[in-house]
Amino acid sequence: MLSLDDVSVTFNAGTPNEVRALQALSLSVAEGEFVTVIGSNGAGKSTFFNVISGAVEPNSGRITLDGRDITYTPEFRRSHDIGRVFQDPRLGTCPGLTIRENLSLAAIHGRGAGFRRDVKQADDARFFAQLERQHLGLEHRLDADVALLSGGQRQAITLVMATLTQPKLLLLDEHTAALDPNAAEQVIALTQDLAEANDLSVVMITHSMQQACDLGDRVIMMNRGQIVFEIAGEERRNLKPADLIDRFHSLQDGTELSDAQLLG
Amino acid sequence: MTVTTAASNQPQAPDLRANRGFLLRGALLAIIVAIFMSLGNVNIGAIGQGLGYALAGVTVFMTFRVLGFVDLTVDGAFPIGGAACAILIVNGHSPEFAILMGFAAGALTGMATALIDIIFKIEGLLASIIVITAAYTVTLHVMQGRSNVPLLNQETLISRHSKAFRTWLVEQFGDQMRRQSTNLLEIMLFGMIVVVVLVILYLFLRTEIGLAIRATGKNSQMVRATGINHNLMIIIGLMVANGLAGVAGSLVVQQFGFADVSLGFGLIVRGLAAVIIGEVLLRPRTVGQLLIAAVTGMLIFDISRAWIFSALDLPTTDIQFVSALVVLAALGTPRLYDRWKTYRQRHGG
Repeated sequence: MLSLDDVSVTFNAGTPNEVRALQALSLSVAEGEFVTVIGSNGAGKSTFFNVISGAVEPNSGRITLDGRDITYTPEFRRSHDIGRVFQDPRLGTCPGLTIRENLSLAAIHGRGAGFRRDVKQADDARFFAQLERQHLGLEHRLDADVALLSGGQRQAITLVMATLTQPKLLLLDEHTAALDPNAAEQVIALTQDLAEANDLSVVMITHSMQQACDLGDRVIMMNRGQIVFEIAGEERRNLKPADLIDRFHSLQDGTELSDAQLLG
Repeated sequence: MTVTTAASNQPQAPDLRANRGFLLRGALLAIIVAIFMSLGNVNIGAIGQGLGYALAGVTVFMTFRVLGFVDLTVDGAFPIGGAACAILIVNGHSPEFAILMGFAAGALTGMATALIDIIFKIEGLLASIIVITAAYTVTLHVMQGRSNVPLLNQETLISRHSKAFRTWLVEQFGDQMRRQSTNLLEIMLFGMIVVVVLVILYLFLRTEIGLAIRATGKNSQMVRATGINHNLMIIIGLMVANGLAGVAGSLVVQQFGFADVSLGFGLIVRGLAAVIIGEVLLRPRTVGQLLIAAVTGMLIFDISRAWIFSALDLPTTDIQFVSALVVLAALGTPRLYDRWKTYRQRHGG
């Protein structure tokens, strides 16, 4: 469904600040698959998402979605197929607009904005049903400014917006990291519910080893712009957070050592 | 399904209660201004002038508040619109057509800024300074090399009706109204035009494109994520906004009876003052309220300036200084008030 072939991204190439954010990274995600991505800060996880969503263009390599080459497709054009939720709850929704207006904006997806009314009565039933599934009571607050909502509520709305027009792929960038544990749990439940209901392929970045073990079919660990290991199948089913943390640390120690050797 | 039908039956029309506070503040403000004008002996010409400039205030509202784009293009779009309008009137075209072309001229100026911002990735502030600089020459060329185009003895919106209106006014209300006839005519004509433009603009902002433009200013990342070309929204937004500045230029040119290359000088500051005065006094929330507030702000600006002039008996050469003072008061007072409040809190009342 989604595949990346030898994708490399280098920032500030040729300067002392050169950062090789992605180094010939290859990955493929099957239809309906749920992949979790872990890795320390600076491992290239966000750049990995940015090249998939189109916010960053790769220096080399190829990205295809459903057999279509989207390597250089502008972000706003591929967003019809790719829903995205960010860590910062403020990024996914638009403050100053109501919940209804935000959802209406998401509903424009794919057909382009025109001279139709901004909010349509015909959409209300659909918005109501989508929000009702979340059991947050937001379906009764369609005219509330999203700026007044909590982080968890805003993430919940962002999730609905990201899946409203049935994308093929959902990218979740630590979308519960800024939430309190209770809200995080709710948003995770919602995520699973939406992914299953829409039969979405999901790639989720997380810092929580628990989440990485609980959710999804495959775990990927990134380091220095590369995928250093993948755990799938039988091993993944029996995976515990402690195992992951061990592997994480052994890797960290390794890199620190090599840093020391390089500098020494 | 019962729940969903209940939801779709919810009224969508703006509910009066939401507008009540706004309307009350508006009415209160109107009464205060009326008292103030009669006590301070302010000529009603200030209202006509405010209405002429009002749409330039809406330009600043659209760019700064709706699009979140620091755009000074209004300083260039206004005189270009005025020049286009004047030259068309001089060449025998109807004032209505001339105003439409004023809109087009302003819109093209806005497009220039948007394209510089998007293509060269030069931020709005610099892009618009570049455009204003170039616009000066364009305005001179539009006016066929002259820096001033008089509209004496030409048919403008005002001159077309002024004789009939004056006769009617004197017949109805007696000879003392003769002096105010042009001012009253301006207020009526410009008032109608401003209302019509605001209604159209409101309907535009309530379309899907309008929604996307409003969202672009708040969160362009999200707009891209919803599959909308946010660059296109910036282009459309700046074109509409500066088109309105072109219309304002066209109205003011007909009011003054001439077009001048320096007509837009300092307009951005004036527009900003209008937006802020409107926000502070009326505390608008919805799109419609915000538009009305921007226009009201421009009226208050012109009335306060006229009051300072008549109260201090100043010569017209001081006009820019007084404008700057009014702008400073509009921008500074809310901030000073906030500082005073925190000071009070810190020192226990």
